[in-house]
Amino acid sequence: MIVDYNVLLQGLTEAIVILDIEGYIIYSNPAVVDITGHTPEDLLNKHLTVLYQTAQDQVKAEYELGLSLKKGKFLSEGWRLKKDGSHYWAEMFISPLYDGQSKRLGYSCIIRDVSEKKKLDIELRQNEQRFRLMVEAVRDYAIFMLDPTGHIMSWNEGAKRIKGYSADEIIGKHFSTFYTSEDLESKKPERELKIAVATGKYEEVGWRVRKNGSVFWANVVITALFNDQNKHIGFSKVTRDLTDKKEAEESLRQSEERYRSLVEQVTDYGIFMLDEKGRIISWNEGAKKIKGYEETEVIGKYFSIFYPEEDVLNGKPALELKIAKSEGKYEEEGWRIRKDGTLFWASVVITAVYNNQGIHIGFSKVTRDLTERKESERALRESYERYRLLANELRVTNTELSYANQELEQFTSIVSHDLQEPIRSIKSFLQLINIKLNNEQNEDLKLYIEKAISSADRMKQLIQNLLHYSQLGKTELVEEQINVDELISEAIQNIRTSIEKSNAQITVQNDVKTVEGDRIQLVQLIQNLLSNALKFTDTESPKVKISGFHENGHVKFSVSDNGIGIAETDLNKVFEIFRRLHTKKLYPGTGIGLAICKKIVDRHRGRIWPESKPGKGTTFYFTLNEQKEILEPA
Amino acid sequence: MKKYKIIIVENDEDEQLFMKEGFDSAGLFDIVAQVRNGDTLFEWLDKNKSSLPDVILSDLNMPGKNGYDVINEVRTNPLYNHIPVVITSTSSTKTIIEKCLSSGAADYIVKPETFVEYVPYVQNLYKRIEEKQLVK
Repeated sequence: MIVDYNVLLQGLTEAIVILDIEGYIIYSNPAVVDITGHTPEDLLNKHLTVLYQTAQDQVKAEYELGLSLKKGKFLSEGWRLKKDGSHYWAEMFISPLYDGQSKRLGYSCIIRDVSEKKKLDIELRQNEQRFRLMVEAVRDYAIFMLDPTGHIMSWNEGAKRIKGYSADEIIGKHFSTFYTSEDLESKKPERELKIAVATGKYEEVGWRVRKNGSVFWANVVITALFNDQNKHIGFSKVTRDLTDKKEAEESLRQSEERYRSLVEQVTDYGIFMLDEKGRIISWNEGAKKIKGYEETEVIGKYFSIFYPEEDVLNGKPALELKIAKSEGKYEEEGWRIRKDGTLFWASVVITAVYNNQGIHIGFSKVTRDLTERKESERALRESYERYRLLANELRVTNTELSYANQELEQFTSIVSHDLQEPIRSIKSFLQLINIKLNNEQNEDLKLYIEKAISSADRMKQLIQNLLHYSQLGKTELVEEQINVDELISEAIQNIRTSIEKSNAQITVQNDVKTVEGDRIQLVQLIQNLLSNALKFTDTESPKVKISGFHENGHVKFSVSDNGIGIAETDLNKVFEIFRRLHTKKLYPGTGIGLAICKKIVDRHRGRIWPESKPGKGTTFYFTLNEQKEILEPA
Repeated sequence: MKKYKIIIVENDEDEQLFMKEGFDSAGLFDIVAQVRNGDTLFEWLDKNKSSLPDVILSDLNMPGKNGYDVINEVRTNPLYNHIPVVITSTSSTKTIIEKCLSSGAADYIVKPETFVEYVPYVQNLYKRIEEKQLVK
């Protein structure tokens, strides 16, 4: 079949224009009219520019023709003007035309109107742009694209804000830049991409690194992107900075942790939680210590395991929860069971626990082991009873003692009184004999009689002192304010004879104005101490010093001598009745004088004691009214 | 100078003897009787209601009715309660003296150191009776 090229060109639906070497149109087929509105006549001998948008496009048309010469073909795209002035998006395929001898004849130019396709294109582009602008403008999220190998392709405002890099700095870099060195070592970035590709998405919360090196707590979502052909074209990565949230959560967590560890470490109280059914959901040190169960043994068990069987059978545990729930709290003391089966006396507080929304979520239970307290209470009660028993015994003994004492005093009084009468008779008759004996005839007898009288005297003195001593405890104290200087001088006056006889030198240094007490007894006290001092002094001139002064809120007196002193071992014996530390021959006395002193000082709520250096002298100290409240007679 | 009629109540015979000597020597009293205790005192008084003594001098410690009994019976008997009872004893103990006086004794006089000193004792007794106007 012979092809008529002319017919072919004329009938082709494709718009074809033939140009000469200069670019002037020498042919256009009817399809050109359909696209441009220009007839072949309109276009003949016109430069190709006529099909461009403006006359100024001649430079561009000639340039494109030149490009087609160089490259063999050229596609020119762009807006073109129709004859009626309207636009269409044209694709113009320009190719040079040669004859059989490679002589250039001109150009062929195929024109297509792709306006429709272009419109879609533009819409798509505009759409994309809107999204892009939107993404770029988002500040709270870092949103950027990665290529399939993980290199950053886009960057938004949020990414800049969160990570600190500008778009110029970061685009083209690998996204692992944002990971910590530990994550990099473990090849986490690569793994995340793999997961994203395999599952479509990778999401996590973790630490990421900012440009300045600081870390932030990030929520990261990596989404694998596939195009229409399901080809993997990269990833989108959305990162959110959770640091603020993280900090709030962290402080909450820390505070919870603090409370939890606080509760866990309390050892004196068993503190644990029950769920709303009464099953144990937490356990602390104290609970472990008190009840003996490890946490693992007890979690999930009903708290009724701590109750004695009859309580369980009576439904007591459930009742307690019911009360705790209806009244907010249940409190009691009662027996509970340890793991080893032993009982302990517990103080229990069950409190209903509600969450923020006011929903009942369970109970807290605080248990305290009161066994020890009970024990000490019991011990206290026992010791109190013991004490009461003792006090009773003491009272009985006391009564007996005071009775015995009374009897003794009566006895002493009667005996000494009755003893006096015969002694008096003996002495009387001796005296009578003595008077009637002739002085010269019976020298020897006279001596014996004098000795007998002296013995009777001594016996009488003894009896009188004993009587006096026993009377001291009987009579009531006549307490009055007494001038101390007067007391001392009265005592000195009473024993003036023996002072003169011993040639003693008595000095007084008294700072105390008055004392409260029984005048007669206190004179006796000082007198006895003075006599004692004189008696036990060997020197030619005994020196006795009486001092009175205030000390520690009470009065203190001393009577010092330069006498023979008292051996240390004897110091505590001096106040014993009838105790005479020296032989009678050297130092006469009844052995009652110091006992009387002691009794007088006792009755005046004071203390009396000697200090002595044998050979150097003795000082007797006494205080008065020292312990008024304590020694006050009951 | 008035002589007082006196009854002496004393259980000790020696003491009685020396007391009598003292009283006789002093010449200040007429001893109407010497009895050995309260029982014999009241026997005597019952028999001699018409010639009662001016003063009763009584020892304290005696078998039978003692000095305290004497004080009490004399004081509570309307026939005798006008007669002063003077107690005499070797004891100079304050409590005993006070007990006697508070029981109703007219006076208390301590016996002398020995029997041989009864004259000054009697003189003292007379002096006190006068001073205190014990005999109405």
